[in-house]
Amino acid sequence: MRLRSLLGLAPIALYLAGLTLVPVASTLWLSVAGPDGGFTLEHFRKIAAHYQFGEAVVNTLGITAVGLSLELALGLALALILATRPRGRAAFQVLLLIPLGVPTVVAAAVMRSILGTVGYLNEALLRLHLIHLPVDWVGERTLAICSVAVADAWKVTPLMLLILLAGLEAIPGELYEAARTDGASRWRQFAAISLPLLKPALSMALIVRGVDAFRIFALPLALVGQSFPVLSTYAYLEYLEYGNPHTAAASSVILLAMILLAVGSYLRLAGPEELLR
Amino acid sequence: MKALRLASLALAIAWATGPLYLLLKISLSPPAEVMTAHPTLLPHGLTLEHWRRLFAAGQVAAPLVKSLLTASLVALAALLLAAPAAYTLARLPARWRYAILLGLFACRMLPEVSLALPIAVTFLRWGLLDTIAGLALSHLTLVLPVAAWVLTTSFLTIPRQIEEAAAIDGCSPWQTLWRVTLRLATPGLVVAGLLAWLFSWEEFVLATYLTLGAKTMPLQVYYYLYQGNWFLTAACAVLMTAPVLILSALLQRHLRGAPLAGAIR
Repeated sequence: MRLRSLLGLAPIALYLAGLTLVPVASTLWLSVAGPDGGFTLEHFRKIAAHYQFGEAVVNTLGITAVGLSLELALGLALALILATRPRGRAAFQVLLLIPLGVPTVVAAAVMRSILGTVGYLNEALLRLHLIHLPVDWVGERTLAICSVAVADAWKVTPLMLLILLAGLEAIPGELYEAARTDGASRWRQFAAISLPLLKPALSMALIVRGVDAFRIFALPLALVGQSFPVLSTYAYLEYLEYGNPHTAAASSVILLAMILLAVGSYLRLAGPEELLR
Repeated sequence: MKALRLASLALAIAWATGPLYLLLKISLSPPAEVMTAHPTLLPHGLTLEHWRRLFAAGQVAAPLVKSLLTASLVALAALLLAAPAAYTLARLPARWRYAILLGLFACRMLPEVSLALPIAVTFLRWGLLDTIAGLALSHLTLVLPVAAWVLTTSFLTIPRQIEEAAAIDGCSPWQTLWRVTLRLATPGLVVAGLLAWLFSWEEFVLATYLTLGAKTMPLQVYYYLYQGNWFLTAACAVLMTAPVLILSALLQRHLRGAPLAGAIR
């Protein structure tokens, strides 16, 4: 009886075993498989010595750091504004959520027309006399990292907004009333009530978005190009351009390890109960 | 204070919608307005030339059909596979349910490239590269956890007593499932199906690995972008974004932060 009642789980379990667990296992295996079928760390040594791999790691970490800070700041600010229930909030919300639906490759295409040397951003800045010469926003590396982060933030800030707004609205209004009665300033209310009670929502948002930022693929590829590697595109180029599945697997394993490490240490710091609630 | 809030909201809306305006504008602008050192922000002339060329080139029909079929197949299969799992999960003790859901959620955290590589190698051997079936199979791996998650929350809202009442009134278990449970779960099924459809429609990584020649819509946009053809890129991108905006407007009423967070990217 007990087993029969679990029967509904069988199709999905079989599917995920076959097309998720087996592939991940074979990626792990490919990354350490030697030419004679034995175990080797040669592939890891090879990519560690490759200058583009180092660049990919730095670019990925840079995009994640800049992107997450931007999204968090913008998302929180907008969530706080919408939580005050301004008139026309429903319409504001619909408009603000639009970028979330835009396909990533489309976001990259739009951003390229804005951030290019003869793009709309340069044109606007030139007209405002803020710059005198056009800037190539996706040229130099540090600028390119920031541009990718901004483009990513454009698309996913609405998701931050949704999660944080749901978190804010779950806080009982009486808490703020009590704080006001006791004469707490707005800032004090934010620091002593909103922020601590928002922690589960913040944890959720940071983990979901952090993992996605580590895995970023289409945006750097389409916005900047193949010369600007991140970990995902590095793995892709190793396989499809240079035909080496082993180094491709090794770099995906490193990406996987980075994700596990980041999520694990975050949960260690914030406490797993934050996520499970 | 209030004025400041409204001003920042207006700014945020300009930032959210401005880029899409530019995209639409490029797709409708005469080349002289765009291919210049000083592109104009407001439209001066309108032309349908780029749209005509997009369809005349005959390159966009095949990707459009491939993406439409793949996404629809993924949505349908996701419901068929995830609904029984979700129904089972909703009837399990809470501890088990959350343990399994968390496991499914963990599947969503794997980097796509680590799945795509062995899947591409295997599908090459099975002759599944460049096929709709192959792409749909791979998309399902990423869609199923999300669909199961959404459907579980939806089945949880259906009280068991309703099913028991139907049984007492003489429904067989299948009739109860079909006439009562699935009817009540319809909104959840629609949301899960739409999310699956949208995911597949815009998916880029797996499509890149599993495609040799028969492109999908995202790959077609990338192809035009790579060629440096601004106008075909813009027109194709608008064509691809339009259904998404319509569907996500339909979805928005059902989107509630945290549980769906993993679903949207």
